[in-house]
Amino acid sequence: MSEAAAAGNEAAGGGEVPAGTGLRIESASVRYPGRREPALIDCSAVVGHGEVVGVAGPTNAGKSTLPLLAAGFIPRVVRAKVGGAVLVDGTSVVGTRASAVAGRVGIVFATPANQLSASKLTVREELAFGLENLGLPRAEMDPRIDQLLARLRIEHLADREPFSLSGGEQQRVAIASIVAMGTGVLVLDEPTAQLDPAGTREIAVLLGELARSGTAILCAEHDPIVLGGTVRCLLLDGGRLVIEDLPGAALGSAVLAARGLATPTLVRLAEAAGLPPALVFDEAAITVALRRGRATAANAATGATPTSPSPPGTGLTAAEWRPAADRPGPAVSIEGLVHRYPNGIEAVRGVDLSIRAGESVAIIGQNGSGKTTLIKHFNGLLRPTGGRVLLDGVDIAARPVNQLAATVGFVFQNPDDQLFERSVERELAFGPRNLRLGQAVATRNINAALAATGLTADRATNPYDLNVSARKLVALGGVLAMDPSLLVLDEPTAGQDDRGIARIGAILAALAGAGRTIVAITHDMEFAARTFGRIIVMRGGRVIADGPPQQIFAASGADLLASAGLEPPPAARIGARLGMDPVPLDADELLSRLS
Amino acid sequence: MAAASGYYRPGASWLHRRNPVTKLLALLLVVVAAFLLPPISLPVLLALLVVLAATCGLAGAVARTLRIPALLLISILLVNAFFFPGATNRIAGVGPFWITSEGLAFGLNAAGRLIVAFVASVLFLQTTLADDLLETLISRGVSYRISFVVLAAVQMVPRLQERAGSILEAQQARGLAISGSFRVRLRALVPLIGPVLLGSLIDVRERTFALEARGFGALPGRTAYRRVADPPLDRVLRPLLLLAMLGVVAVALFGLPRF
Repeated sequence: MSEAAAAGNEAAGGGEVPAGTGLRIESASVRYPGRREPALIDCSAVVGHGEVVGVAGPTNAGKSTLPLLAAGFIPRVVRAKVGGAVLVDGTSVVGTRASAVAGRVGIVFATPANQLSASKLTVREELAFGLENLGLPRAEMDPRIDQLLARLRIEHLADREPFSLSGGEQQRVAIASIVAMGTGVLVLDEPTAQLDPAGTREIAVLLGELARSGTAILCAEHDPIVLGGTVRCLLLDGGRLVIEDLPGAALGSAVLAARGLATPTLVRLAEAAGLPPALVFDEAAITVALRRGRATAANAATGATPTSPSPPGTGLTAAEWRPAADRPGPAVSIEGLVHRYPNGIEAVRGVDLSIRAGESVAIIGQNGSGKTTLIKHFNGLLRPTGGRVLLDGVDIAARPVNQLAATVGFVFQNPDDQLFERSVERELAFGPRNLRLGQAVATRNINAALAATGLTADRATNPYDLNVSARKLVALGGVLAMDPSLLVLDEPTAGQDDRGIARIGAILAALAGAGRTIVAITHDMEFAARTFGRIIVMRGGRVIADGPPQQIFAASGADLLASAGLEPPPAARIGARLGMDPVPLDADELLSRLS
Repeated sequence: MAAASGYYRPGASWLHRRNPVTKLLALLLVVVAAFLLPPISLPVLLALLVVLAATCGLAGAVARTLRIPALLLISILLVNAFFFPGATNRIAGVGPFWITSEGLAFGLNAAGRLIVAFVASVLFLQTTLADDLLETLISRGVSYRISFVVLAAVQMVPRLQERAGSILEAQQARGLAISGSFRVRLRALVPLIGPVLLGSLIDVRERTFALEARGFGALPGRTAYRRVADPPLDRVLRPLLLLAMLGVVAVALFGLPRF
């Protein structure tokens, strides 16, 4: 990330800087129709050409509203009452016609596939789409596209089909297609939310490079890799701008802890090492400082460790929620599993796995490494092309999905593929009713699941009136209410803020405590390291590593992880630099071992 | 994956090479004929379509898509055959119910019309790239808004299908039995309609955002990067298709000419 940070910092010295002031937001307020509370209150910010400015904050902080407003989408595309002003290179974009904004400011959202026009057969045509809309003569298109492909170092993608690209590649193409239009101001809303660590770094580096060539960039993000590369970071909470400062300061424990938010691991370590905010995301500097300060680290560590790993304010601990009964989960055996889709793609190419009863396992790997295909065999949603799947030693080949549902709970990645009832409560009641659990048990399960997911107050709400992170919790609740002995989850923490992640972690810990078997896919290395006793790494449809987190994230395994588009969590990275073996898995462990 | 190209199957058959507008006219002609001409024309139209598909090597692909409307077609046939209002000419009895000849004829007609319209549409979608259609429509002066609606409609069906599949999976994963009797299957399908449409609306909203961000429809004088072929044959075919359409309407209004 130091690359991205450096790019952002020396941006002013870079290439041609378009005239004007970049993006200027003046005392902006936004209220959506039908909502009592405004989404954004009196927020001001300036992003100059050559700058990457980050926007951080918990769910419902206004973090998505600010980008929509800055790009002129509010109120033109998304209806809302707006106060204040937004200027792009001196031109107001609030309430102006699309023609005034086209080619001046562009926006990129979280879901990679939805950022593309969906009708183009090659990346080249995708990039041409914006140019067509601007009415650029055809003869000028190819030279401009070639130049851009070279500048963003994505020449190799030019003739690929956009929908066959990885998520990280799709996001880079989406950003390129905005930049192709000559757009001087780029706004992004959680561009890395669905990307693996490698894809996230690609985006961080790209944003730095774009800034260096003069683009003004406003990026709402949660990932410290991206936020660390910004010149300034705005922290929003409850729709208000709390602070605008260097990312190391805006994301410092002094600011975040006061609001019940967790401090990013690197920031905590840098603070413990006594580094100034400017060096907070510099891993080499943190390592040097920690090594030098080893003698005094004990004091610093205790001073900067205000909380337990789960941030305050979640209102939930593992002890508060208990599954219906201490019931042992099944053992899972996968023998020589191969899965080939009808289109000929072989997504799983020979996997042998043995998961003990009551074990908690994380599966990590790049987008497209076969993780989802693998776990869809656990409840029969997919059937093996070759090999067998056994639960407690019994082959499940002959058992239909709905029968397996009594044992195996499956939480899908996209909640919108999973929710179909008109209220949260009905959604949670769907599974227990199918399983014929009986009224008393069902009611108890539903109430417990509502409490665990924090949705008790929303039980009568239509799931589609909730935001996407809450919808994800509804989907999880719908499965918890069935009280499964084996819980299988696909990316449970994607799109959640720290509180949501802590809540999900606590629920999984409670299930594990009751002896249930848990298997989860995740892109979040810190979550994986903290929550699971065993980690399986997949690449190209095969398992390439399998062991406890200390072994998977050890310094010796870094190359193997990198080959799968992954990297150890920050505490393990710093620990490895410090020569710790086994590596620490979180900031607390690292600091306590230093002292 | 299906999202990019919908039902499009890459190929170079003579139908693939036709201009999208030519194919759109042909599709319209077939649909209008199926609904306006007397039922005796239906087998002829269907045979014509089958031959057409076969010459493009798509007969199998088209046939496979027929399972999508199969449930609807069968229920139309059955409901009419048994319960056609006012029908008296009983042919056969099943339990307390009777199949009537009027009902059977009506059911066959309705189902036949739908099959012809469906097969023609599938053939159109399988040989026409959505993007080419969009480009030709815009270059012919159709408004951005309408062109986008056409594009979205073309891409909508496979996406609805994908989403319905996902939700069906999710319901099974939560214990719903969907294999089994016809009634059980139908009961599983009905509650899907709402969430599938709602989910697609969210989807469409995000796509609209993506197009909006690239200035689609923002400025007049849009240019085109991709060139859509309009071979000389198409310029001959289009007036002929229009003539045929007039002919069909005339026959529908005044009956077949007597010699």
